Amino acid sequence: MFEIGLFSYLVIGLILFATGILVMIARKNIIAILLGIELILNAAALNFVAYSKYSVGNLDGHVFSLFIIVVAAAEAAVGLAIVIRFFQIKETAHIDDAVLLKN
Amino acid sequence: MFGTILFICSAIFTICGAVMVAVSKNVIHASIYLLISLIGVAGLYLTLGADFVAVTQLVVYVGGVVILMLFAIMLTGGADLKVVSRYGFTKDPGMGSLKTYVIGGLTSLFMAIVTGKLIYNAVINTTTENQLNMENSVEQTVSKIGTLLVTKHVLAFEISSILLLGALVGAAIIARPVKLGDE
Repeated sequence: MFEIGLFSYLVIGLILFATGILVMIARKNIIAILLGIELILNAAALNFVAYSKYSVGNLDGHVFSLFIIVVAAAEAAVGLAIVIRFFQIKETAHIDDAVLLKN
Repeated sequence: MFGTILFICSAIFTICGAVMVAVSKNVIHASIYLLISLIGVAGLYLTLGADFVAVTQLVVYVGGVVILMLFAIMLTGGADLKVVSRYGFTKDPGMGSLKTYVIGGLTSLFMAIVTGKLIYNAVINTTTENQLNMENSVEQTVSKIGTLLVTKHVLAFEISSILLLGALVGAAIIARPVKLGDE
C-alpha cells in the first residue's frame, strides 16, 4: 500500500492542471473553454490546501482556497454573461467566429 | 483505512472526470463530467481535513457554477449542432479537431513536465524539514477560518465582497436583453 502524502496530492493537481490546459486549447466551444479554466483553478486550490496541511501547518491555505473559489464563481458569472451576449450578436458559441478584432 | 479508500475514490473521480471533460463530444456531458471531477476534489479536501473548504466547494461549484454553465449551454444551444464534414463523418463543431488536440496535448505535456520538475524539487526540499500535524486528527476548522477571515485576511475579505458585487452588476448589465429600438 502506498503512503498518502504531499506528493500524491501534487500529482493529482498536476494532472488536473494539464487536463485543463488541454481542454482550453483543444475544445472549440467557448463554454467548454470556461470548463477548462475551472479545472485549472481547482488544481491551484487543491495545491494550496495540500501545502497547508503537510508543509505549513496553519490554515492560511484554506483561506486562500476559499478566495480562489470566490474569484472562480465571479469569473464564471461574468464569462457566461459575455458568452450569452456573444450568442445574441453572432448566433453561435464557436470560438472561431469571434473575429471582431481581426484585420 | 477509511481515509485511504476515500482518497483513492476521490482521485479516480477527479482524474477520470477531468479526462472525460477533455474528450466527451457533447458539451452538456462535459459539464456533467466537470461536476463529477469537482465532487472528487471535494472528497480530496475531506481527506486533507479541510471540512469547510469541502462544503464550500460542494455548495459553490456543484450547486452554483455548474448549474450556471448548464443554463448557459442551454441558452446558447451548443449541444446539438452537428455538421457533416466533406469526408462524410458527422462532426461536432464545438469539439475541436485532431490538430487542436495534438497541439493542446503537446502544450499540456510540456507544461506538465515543467511543473512536475518544480513539484519534485519542492517536495524534495520540504518533506524532510517539518513533518508537523501528520496525524489523522479530525478537528473543526470553521471557527479558525472565521477568525482568520476577519483578522488577518480582512482586507482580502472586503475586496472579495466588492468583487462579487461588481461581478453581479457587470454580469447583469452585459447579458441584458437587447432592446428592440436600439440597433
